[in-house]
Amino acid sequence: MTTQKSERMTSTIANTKVTEFVANIANENLPCWEKYAEARNTAKEILTNLDFPTTRNEYWKYSRVTKIARETYHFNNLSEEKIDLDSVRIPNLDTYEIVFINGFISLVNSNLPSSDELEIIALRDSKSHDYDSCFSKNLDSITNIFSALNTAYFTDGVLIKAKGEIAKPIHIIHYSTGENIISQPRNMFVSTTNSSLTILKSSINNNTNNFFQNSVNEFFLEKNSKLNFYVIQDYKKGMNVMTTNVVNQERDSVFSAYNYTIKGDWIRNNTNVFVNGENCETNLFGAYQPTGSEHIDNHTIVDHLAAHCESNEHYKGTIADKATGVFNGKVFVRKDSQKINAFQSNNNVLLSDDATMNSKPELEIYADDVKCSHGSTSGQLDEEAIFYLQSRGLSKKSATALLIGAFLGEVVEKIEIPELKEKVLGLYGME
Amino acid sequence: MISIKNLHASIGEKEILRGINLEVKAGEVHAIMGPNGSGKSTLSSVLAGNENYEVTEGSVDFMGEDLLELSTEERAREGIFLAFQYPIEIPGVSNMNFLRTAINETREAKGEEPIAAKEFLAKVKEKSALVELDGSLLKRYVNEGFSGGEKKRNEIFQMAMLEPKLAILDETDSGLDIDALKIVSHGVNKLKTKDNATIVITHYQRLLDYIVPDFVHVLYKGRIVKSGGKELALELEEKGYDWIKEEVNA
Repeated sequence: MTTQKSERMTSTIANTKVTEFVANIANENLPCWEKYAEARNTAKEILTNLDFPTTRNEYWKYSRVTKIARETYHFNNLSEEKIDLDSVRIPNLDTYEIVFINGFISLVNSNLPSSDELEIIALRDSKSHDYDSCFSKNLDSITNIFSALNTAYFTDGVLIKAKGEIAKPIHIIHYSTGENIISQPRNMFVSTTNSSLTILKSSINNNTNNFFQNSVNEFFLEKNSKLNFYVIQDYKKGMNVMTTNVVNQERDSVFSAYNYTIKGDWIRNNTNVFVNGENCETNLFGAYQPTGSEHIDNHTIVDHLAAHCESNEHYKGTIADKATGVFNGKVFVRKDSQKINAFQSNNNVLLSDDATMNSKPELEIYADDVKCSHGSTSGQLDEEAIFYLQSRGLSKKSATALLIGAFLGEVVEKIEIPELKEKVLGLYGME
Repeated sequence: MISIKNLHASIGEKEILRGINLEVKAGEVHAIMGPNGSGKSTLSSVLAGNENYEVTEGSVDFMGEDLLELSTEERAREGIFLAFQYPIEIPGVSNMNFLRTAINETREAKGEEPIAAKEFLAKVKEKSALVELDGSLLKRYVNEGFSGGEKKRNEIFQMAMLEPKLAILDETDSGLDIDALKIVSHGVNKLKTKDNATIVITHYQRLLDYIVPDFVHVLYKGRIVKSGGKELALELEEKGYDWIKEEVNA
């Protein structure tokens, strides 16, 4: 009884927090988005009934959002400012560039394609589109307050639609700056039948303090299409980052996500894949290396709703100092989804006694003719290997770096673009 | 070159080396033989700086320096090389990358420039030929999936690349067939100069047919109990270790 009472009290307090949180940003002028007015209103309605989650909620068990929730934020549109993008560009790789500053599209900094095979529409554009009705499809905005927040108050975004094989990657660059700013970009990526598309996402932040970036990306893969999504997360101090990716796959499609976290105070990535059609392939790879007091959380869901599909998931991380890593991977194989091959693994190396890793791989299988495996390991670097390397003249530091590089390198090697692989290896300090 | 005096070392509570005395001069080859458990591998580990062993007494002077004060990597950079009895597999670390790092860190410690790519590759080609190590193995990860013989040849290849002053070969003959043994020995002999020295640790005399020692020492219960010329090895081969044990225990 007592527990119940206190929970109710907590919930009341938390809900006041949501009201306050929303009241601050709701006062500010966001462009009018008529096409999405209904979706926004529904999300606003949901927000009045949602609390910020506590760690009693299984989905948020290892990631406290209190420090995000207790701050007040406002939007700050600086999209006219010219910024330097060199630090995130990939040497020798030609890309299109779409730049967001504090969540608002910055055309002056962007380099947009003009190709019949590639359609790019700003979501604020009132022209109707065949994917308008897919907005928020399968997004967890009923249960996830951050998804609801984005839907209700997203700042800006684009819909990118590939109608052919687009060789040149589209580089989406998020620039963040300021104190107590909230940025809520929202994008939709569509690969139409028989097309292919590569999206690359990078971030730059300068002079940030209590900056909250809460982004949502929606992916729609039509029949026999291929979409690659590369993410590099390399943040300076002062950023709290929440990303939510929702992927919808139709038959014969291949979706691959590569998430490389280099640095970040507090990061939570949610990637939810709905495999709706047969003969699909889903690949999720990720690497993280939190140090200091950083907190890096990766949550993934792969929902096999159709038969004859394959999914591969591999996340690897090294956790140093007092840092925390979280991995939660859920794979569902639904009742009629026979002949599924689903593999999932998460491997971690703890580099200090104060480092924490919370790893939870989960499989829920309701079909009977499937091949699935999952596993999680957390261990230390091999002392014997370090001694061997030292005995050849390597310092303990380089021996350790070489072994970490070898460990994380396995998932970096998955990158299909050599120039990008080079860049990511460099960011992780591997040669 | 190296002067070991009254060296005692233990692992945990257990004392394994109980007063080793050994003097090795430049240009010499010393063989250390002994029954299993006599402390042969412990001696090589202690000299290489393995922190699992604690030196409780004694001193080791290596070319005028107190070896026991140096870290493992400093010893390597000063010219100590240990060819491991069981070379470890290191997945994800390429042989070439590892060796280049090893050479460059040694050079850096001496205030020298890093090795030029061309020079490095030429050296790799020359030294790998010495132990007939296939080029494809060099591109692979350190020892991963190597056969026993390939691992031992890789050790001698690394030795050739690093050009140590004192090489300690810890049971390099174990697990080698006669052809591999000849290749490995040939490599070691080719690397011998008047300025470097070799300590060969072995259980069997067989290796010493190919790497001919100037001195043979018998290690038993953590002490060198007998020293002699190469003929001592032949005597051990013929009579086994029992007579030594009896002499010591008497």
